[in-house]
Amino acid sequence: MSGAVETTPADGGLMRVSSDKISRLMDLVGELSLSVSETVQSPDLLGLQLTNFDAAVHRLNMIVREVQDAATELRLVPVDDVFRRLRRMVRELERQTGKQIEMDIEGGDTAIDKLVADRLYDPLLHVVRNSADHGLEGPDDRRAVGKPEQGRILLSAAQVGSEVRITVADDGRGLARDKILKKAREKGFFGPDEEPEPSALWKVIFEPGFSTAEVVSNLSGRGVGMDVLNATMKALRGRIAVDSTAGQGTRVALHIPVSLAFLDCIILRLRHQLFAVPIDVVSEIAKPRPEDLVGISADTGSEMFRLRGAFIPVCRLDQFYGTPLDRAEDPPTQVLVVFNTSSGPIAVPVDEILDRQQVVMKPLIGRLAQVRASWGCALLGTGEVALVLDCERLAAGPSGGPQ
Amino acid sequence: MAQDTAEATKARPDGLPLREADNIDEMYLTFALGAEEYGVGIAGVTEIVGMQRIMSVPDVPHYIKGVINLRGKVIPLMDVRLRFGMPERAYDERTVVIVMDVGEAPIGLIVDGVSEVLEIPPSQVDRHTQFGRSSTRPVIAGIGRIGDRVAVLLDTEVLVADGDIALPAEMAA
Repeated sequence: MSGAVETTPADGGLMRVSSDKISRLMDLVGELSLSVSETVQSPDLLGLQLTNFDAAVHRLNMIVREVQDAATELRLVPVDDVFRRLRRMVRELERQTGKQIEMDIEGGDTAIDKLVADRLYDPLLHVVRNSADHGLEGPDDRRAVGKPEQGRILLSAAQVGSEVRITVADDGRGLARDKILKKAREKGFFGPDEEPEPSALWKVIFEPGFSTAEVVSNLSGRGVGMDVLNATMKALRGRIAVDSTAGQGTRVALHIPVSLAFLDCIILRLRHQLFAVPIDVVSEIAKPRPEDLVGISADTGSEMFRLRGAFIPVCRLDQFYGTPLDRAEDPPTQVLVVFNTSSGPIAVPVDEILDRQQVVMKPLIGRLAQVRASWGCALLGTGEVALVLDCERLAAGPSGGPQ
Repeated sequence: MAQDTAEATKARPDGLPLREADNIDEMYLTFALGAEEYGVGIAGVTEIVGMQRIMSVPDVPHYIKGVINLRGKVIPLMDVRLRFGMPERAYDERTVVIVMDVGEAPIGLIVDGVSEVLEIPPSQVDRHTQFGRSSTRPVIAGIGRIGDRVAVLLDTEVLVADGDIALPAEMAA
């Protein structure tokens, strides 16, 4: 046991523990929490007179939750480790581009799962490279428009709820709206006369093979970097937001969950299938009256849900997955769960909302890798398995769509 | 730990004695589908379990019946009858799940029942020629002769992959 643990009195009682040991502990804590729920929800207990049981169960659940939190915390590292590596990279970029770049770091002490931190460097590197290479102007251009010669990149991190938001902001020329729009139209993301919202337009720069840089430098502009960013963010269950103002700069924000191990979910049932949805995307739960659901045959039978005067598109899971249920047998009153996604709210009808619980995530591998719009499988306290829905991809529709 | 149990199961499926010298690559686990006998290489088999509670998942082909939670591992189950286009059969107490690792990922094969573990040396395995369909890798790795019986040896990677395998017509021939 003592083999891999080293203590040095000088560093205030800090210990080096191998990450394998921590992973093992996390796994065990996961199994412990499953096993506890399995025990306390055991069907054998039905109908028994258990006077003090509920109080004991409550206490046990509290403790398990705290152990989970404590175990999760063990694996948290300051995001500054990643930021410092990027700072070194910026020095290199200064040399290669001949630009002067000042890199500021804020919130470097923000804690993030080591597994996330390890995978953040590459995608962040691409964002920073893009800022340095395309965003920031050369010293002469900057002087001409009245900016300080030295360009500025601000790298910041902050925790908001269960998410860490990392932003890379530069004070460069901003994204070239016309150029991107032209290219996006060429590639068929928008109609020739369509004027997309800025947030919708910026998203296309993450599409595979999308690059507007005329000169392919060895730094960036080959249109592959953004793919890497996209793929990593999907794997980390993160989101990307871009904002840009012409002449003033670009801001890329990555929203990433603090920990990948446990996920606070609500559990939904549709017929005999179980789904789990991360709690922070659920905006509300509604019980619709029949007249609140409006079918639109003109739009291939899509449906809208009327909620306080606003219309929210309805996404039926059975239709999304191409196995439509026989609607005639439907119990008329279903529950609608409204999810917040970056492309607006969607309403998903389910039969029942079962529970809210911390679930242990398992990746979809092998035969299950093809399941669309899912982050993975969630093992529930009952021993059942639910599919964790990725509401972003659900909102994008069965074929995927842009982003 | 899980490794150990897997090894243990591998070493004594159905109590058949194995000799030290046995070559694992020539060992097959045979199972029944209706009147037909099939075999898979024992090297990929991690364990054999009875029928479990299956939980249905969306977006998988009809022959993937769902997943089971096997001691914290989520394992998709393939009904091999349905995979081969054979008629579905209600699961009974003989129905078993052969849990395998195919290409790093676990899969459970639902079969009518396991028969035995056999050593079938390459000399006893005939290549199965598929008439007029040479473009795809066949699901049948060979036909093993066991005395006067035969077992159809399956290529589990093809079995588990998405491709079409129109087996029944061929088997009927």
